[in-house]
Amino acid sequence: MAYSFPEEVLEHVFSFIHSDKDRNAVSLVCKSWYEIERWCRRRIFVGNCYAVSPRIVIRRFPEVRSVSLKGKPHFADFNLVPEGWGGYVYPWISAMAEAYPWLEELRLKRMVVTDEALELISRSFKNFSALVLSSCEGFTTDGLAAIAANCRNLKELDLRECDVDDRSGNWLSHFPESCTSLVSLSFSCLEGEVSFSALERLVSRCTNLRALRLNHSVPLDKLPNLLRRAPQLVDLGMGAYTAELRPELYSRLGNAFAGCKGLKSLSGFWDVVPSYLPATYSVCAGITFLNLSYATIQSPDLIKLIRQCRNLQRLWVLDYIEDSGLNALAASCKDLEELRVFPSDPFGQEANVSLTEQGLVSVSEGCPKLQSVLYFCRQMTNAALFTIARNRPNMTRFRLCIIEPRTPDYLTLQPLDAGFGAIVEHCKDLRRLSLSGLLTDLVFEYIGTHAQKLEMLSVAFAGESDLGLHHVLSGCKSLRKLEIRDCPFGDKALFVNASKLETMRSLWMSSCSVSFGACKLLGQKMPRLNVEVIDERAPPDLRPESEPIERLYVYRTIAGPRLDMPGFVWTMGDEKSATEFS
Amino acid sequence: MGKITNSSSSSIDSSNHPSISSATSSLPQPKRDLSTDLRLGLSISTSQPDDSSSNSREQPSDWPSLKPLLRCTIAEKGNNRQHPTLFVKVYMEGIPIGRKLDLFAHNNYDSLVRTLSQMFRTTILCPDIDEVLSGNDHVLTYEDKEGDWMMVGDVPWEMFLTTVKRLKITRANQC
Repeated sequence: MAYSFPEEVLEHVFSFIHSDKDRNAVSLVCKSWYEIERWCRRRIFVGNCYAVSPRIVIRRFPEVRSVSLKGKPHFADFNLVPEGWGGYVYPWISAMAEAYPWLEELRLKRMVVTDEALELISRSFKNFSALVLSSCEGFTTDGLAAIAANCRNLKELDLRECDVDDRSGNWLSHFPESCTSLVSLSFSCLEGEVSFSALERLVSRCTNLRALRLNHSVPLDKLPNLLRRAPQLVDLGMGAYTAELRPELYSRLGNAFAGCKGLKSLSGFWDVVPSYLPATYSVCAGITFLNLSYATIQSPDLIKLIRQCRNLQRLWVLDYIEDSGLNALAASCKDLEELRVFPSDPFGQEANVSLTEQGLVSVSEGCPKLQSVLYFCRQMTNAALFTIARNRPNMTRFRLCIIEPRTPDYLTLQPLDAGFGAIVEHCKDLRRLSLSGLLTDLVFEYIGTHAQKLEMLSVAFAGESDLGLHHVLSGCKSLRKLEIRDCPFGDKALFVNASKLETMRSLWMSSCSVSFGACKLLGQKMPRLNVEVIDERAPPDLRPESEPIERLYVYRTIAGPRLDMPGFVWTMGDEKSATEFS
Repeated sequence: MGKITNSSSSSIDSSNHPSISSATSSLPQPKRDLSTDLRLGLSISTSQPDDSSSNSREQPSDWPSLKPLLRCTIAEKGNNRQHPTLFVKVYMEGIPIGRKLDLFAHNNYDSLVRTLSQMFRTTILCPDIDEVLSGNDHVLTYEDKEGDWMMVGDVPWEMFLTTVKRLKITRANQC
């Protein structure tokens, strides 16, 4: 059959198609489209680095320029995944060093990155331009020095919440004097000092620098000089925002900020001294993202700052803001889309601040565009959740963390099933949900019935029986990631819904009631799943099969069982594992 | 759900909600009742206000769900709930695995040197006071904020604390 369009034309058409979903759909049309598409795909996203192997990726997509990889499951952020579990990036780098010499961008999340890997990156890809490491670990500033020194066209070096061993050796000074290409430099998670003179010179000569996020070692009196050298900045992460009160520093700061007319994003604010905050007021009207997660200042000072930011779209703040501050936010910031409120004293037994469910209700009433919420608090009511749900049917991400596990509605002492039920019923586009408080199996029935667009669900200390888990697995059509801890969910729901697990990226269950025997069976019956038992006690086969395991991580994969597991991880149903046990 | 009475009594009097404890549960209870850990940990820590290490030991490291950077920053600030600490790495020449030591737990160089001598089972000499340095003796050096390695003991203790990054015990005849 003759085709109407020559390959080149199809390829040109495909070049306008960017989303992975669309590209995947294109590749399913027919064999020839599959072939054309795979040769012209330039970006790939691998949500689970063990779902596929580097070899398979490279074989299918030979001309990739940008790779994103994710390693450990999300609960690793909260110390639930033991050290050494996996997520090593080196095998990927080494395979790509041969196959993708023109690689430009690498984005890694929750992976173990070593200095060797960073050095290999810096030497292997001549056009390398962007390295973004989020929640990664395993490397030192020596590795960063290699990137700085060897990547000639580096535009972006972003370290977000990484655990980096800070060696002295001044990695920043390794950027050669000839480097002028930086657009984004972010090292706020580093602990050590950097050379100010090297930083100033670097900022001066990189005239395209748009984002600069410093770490807390950069003192406030150095900030005006940096800002004056980079008036084109759009995203600024300040270092320490504290100093003795000196009028000349204050006015230098004020002038420097006033010069940065394009600033849209402010973060950092470590050790902030309220008296210096007004120095930022001249840019506040343009600010759309304000990250005050480290700013331990009280509500009145927070309110004054927030009132200046009329165009705020995203706010991350500590619960020092209190209900009064959230009322002010609701009144001032009508464009607010995202709110995150973190606990200032998560380990205290009682509330240290006056932040309740009322604050969240206020914001849901006053901010019509609010769609993403992460809220730590100590009390909640079904009525408040009803109100929030009715106010904001456009909610897409809703994560509530009531600090004390299994806390009921404090007015009625009932479980919060009905409240969360209202959320999933009214918010039809809800993609992400985290539950907390006292919850029975009923809430999962609501979720299974109504949350048809839900992609990610996080559950802790909730439910009463396997029925809860069954409702979710049998109901939520779009579910991709399910993470559960400390719930009485066990084998039955997993068996009945085993095939559902192949339609999801992953399932995590820790401190639940899943037996070793069930895991073995699941692993045997489902060859396209890796069923990992993660247990730091003795090997699970030395205990009765009915005994619950510590942690279960199930994910779909076409790469088979992985070969880099530490001693406390077993893949079920794998012939090799079977012989180890005998 | 028998655990509920325990978990809620930390903030609400257990007599307020008798109905919850009668909820049925035929399944094995989750193994760890973190809320009890939290309560116990906090009551233990309040009876020993000076022991900062018991504070950190009792707080569960995996609840509530906070990322490490934020958790550390908050814990440090945390309403003076914990004593500030300054942990630095300490290596002894020839031994690849190092130790960590809280400098704020000491008030002066003597105390530091005594602790390190015990930790590493060696004699650490002060170059001013002690004479002839033989091959088996060690001295204490530190890396400062500028990346230079210096002999410990030259500057006042408080100044030392503001500039020290890590410690190393080296053989005396190297200095």
